[in-house]
Amino acid sequence: MMADNIPLSTARRHRLLAAMAAAGIDEIVVYGNGWQGDYLRYVSDFGILEGHGIAVIAADGAIELFLDSATDAERAEAEVPGVAVRLCGDIARTVGARLDRVANHRLAAAPRRSLPAWLAAAARSFTMEDGTALLDRLLMHKLPAEIDAIRRAAKIADDAYGEFIKAVTPGRRQYEIVADLEAYLRRRGCPDNFMIIGSGGKDVFGMTPPSERRIAGGDLVTTELTPAVEGYYVQICRTLVAGKATAAQAGAFAVYREALEAGIAAVKPGASAADVARAENDVFRKFGLGDYVTSKYTRVRGHGIGLFCDSKPHILEDVDTALEPGMALIVHPNTYHPEVGYLVLGDAVVVTETGVEVLCGTPRELFEVPA
Amino acid sequence: MRRGLIARSKTELPDAVFDARLERLRAAMRELDALLVYTNNTRPAAVSWLTGFIPYWSEAMLVVPRNALPVLVVALTFRVKPWIERTSRVAEVINAPRVGIEAARLIAGRKADAAVGVVDFDHLPLGIADDLGEAGPQLAISDASDLFATVRAPADPAEIMLTARASSIAATALSRIGQRDSAGDVVAAVEADARRNGAEEVYVAMAPDLARDQRLLRVEGEPALGRRFSVRASVAYKGSWVRRVVTVDRDGAVSDDAEAVFADAVARLPSDCALSQFSSFLVEGRRIAQPLEALIGSGVAAPRPPVAGAVVSVQARIEADGRPVLLGAPALVGASGEAASIFQ
Repeated sequence: MMADNIPLSTARRHRLLAAMAAAGIDEIVVYGNGWQGDYLRYVSDFGILEGHGIAVIAADGAIELFLDSATDAERAEAEVPGVAVRLCGDIARTVGARLDRVANHRLAAAPRRSLPAWLAAAARSFTMEDGTALLDRLLMHKLPAEIDAIRRAAKIADDAYGEFIKAVTPGRRQYEIVADLEAYLRRRGCPDNFMIIGSGGKDVFGMTPPSERRIAGGDLVTTELTPAVEGYYVQICRTLVAGKATAAQAGAFAVYREALEAGIAAVKPGASAADVARAENDVFRKFGLGDYVTSKYTRVRGHGIGLFCDSKPHILEDVDTALEPGMALIVHPNTYHPEVGYLVLGDAVVVTETGVEVLCGTPRELFEVPA
Repeated sequence: MRRGLIARSKTELPDAVFDARLERLRAAMRELDALLVYTNNTRPAAVSWLTGFIPYWSEAMLVVPRNALPVLVVALTFRVKPWIERTSRVAEVINAPRVGIEAARLIAGRKADAAVGVVDFDHLPLGIADDLGEAGPQLAISDASDLFATVRAPADPAEIMLTARASSIAATALSRIGQRDSAGDVVAAVEADARRNGAEEVYVAMAPDLARDQRLLRVEGEPALGRRFSVRASVAYKGSWVRRVVTVDRDGAVSDDAEAVFADAVARLPSDCALSQFSSFLVEGRRIAQPLEALIGSGVAAPRPPVAGAVVSVQARIEADGRPVLLGAPALVGASGEAASIFQ
């Protein structure tokens, strides 16, 4: 993908180097793994799957990528040809030896809390200040080409939810449904997806990886699909009923739809993450469901999306991060409902100069499949 | 992030298996009051070997006191506690956002200056290490990687059985590849089959055209397939990871000779004398926290030969009839004097 006629990875690197220069930082040390690889991907363009990865980028733009997985090192050599790849037996000591050579430089690390502990021990010849906030700004405020990738992922997410509806049939096991979805995404050329699922009734308090549980008539079936394009994740959350929705299920769902609409309406430049969360939660409070927007029943009311599927800012009433054009979010008032169980509904959005662009096109319905 | 089947089978992994592993570990903890084992969804192997717990997301710390039952401290929400208890064998699950703080508190609450071994301490996330120091300032912390690796290395019968199952899932999934499939169809067929057969996770990599490049990549988009291509399936089944690699020739069969040469070289493990004759090779095993850790191979700078009785995954690039063939399979390293055997 290109940004202003240069590859997106190059455009990201230019932004990073400019930010480093402005902060007076000579080299940045960036950590990633298969759980959270966004900082590493931003710097090196490598999507890590296995083991630890550490990239070191110098002020002249040279990048070294240290990996302790042999298979990922081979992959990196082919997938990011402009980066010097080093396979390490002990990644902490190998990177340490590299940093010994620049111990008199001003170094920063991001996310510093994730670095192997050995690299920050007092005995090291070098010290690294915390560069996490510098990278966080770049990760949150996206280039137009980054938003384009998220838009393309959103189209795939919409199509994938259509496949999900087809895959859910009473009697099928949760993991068989997920297998269908993953196969669909791979056939579309989409290499990665994060997905959890829930099925049942009032006994279900959240979503997890798929189990052996079979879909039964009357179940609420919840999922969040999170496919990625060129490393950029998008997310969609929807709920369906195996059979005809009961009046209680339909009534509960109407609360979530109103909350989602209120949350999206609150997304605009100058608003904060807290404003969005408050708009969602006020709807629940209006219906006497205030207890169900607390941490006892729900984790967040949305979050950032991009090179990580659960990025900053988290949409919570105590997060005052200001929303600015170029930020991408999922707004999802997912929580437990005391009459019907766990319900999810969420759309990915982008903050624009004038307000908000909704990326998901799937109707905000409580879908029904034949029981 | 895991999105395959994570489920406990007491037939495949009875309580007695975990209890025996724990006893082996405790017997080695003579100098320690407690052992700490960190896990997240990219370094889950040590904790899943001890408890069956697979973090699909987030992180956790297993606290193994020498004289009390283990406790799992997890950063996941308490709403998934029932799921953890269903899929793992742990005496107690505690939900805490900062697992290092809570783990140190648990140990220091019993003995402020306890001797604590930490598996893979040098690679512990800095934030966790700082939290251990904050909540247990008098704890005497040391690295316990070698202790753990020694206890962990030989596979027990349950692990051998799970490896055989993972290998079978991978082999069956790779057999679904059609000679005329597109790259997307190949990856989809392998993933779908592996997941439907209960794989906890599957990573598919391809060398789409061996005549141009023999490196195995993650497929994004729709690369054109050459006359001959290779596919690797890295499959996890209940915490047991294997890799299998096959080479497909769109115009006919790949020579059986290559497979025979590969099998003969693998049989000589832990010696790499035959494997080192190939263009390249890699042997990965299960030592500490990584599901598959590089042990010996063409590009491995600090080799750690596998021990007798260990389960490994072997990959090799072989020249057959003047053309490259990529092959890979899991194997069980034999006892002294016995041949290693490939899992089918």
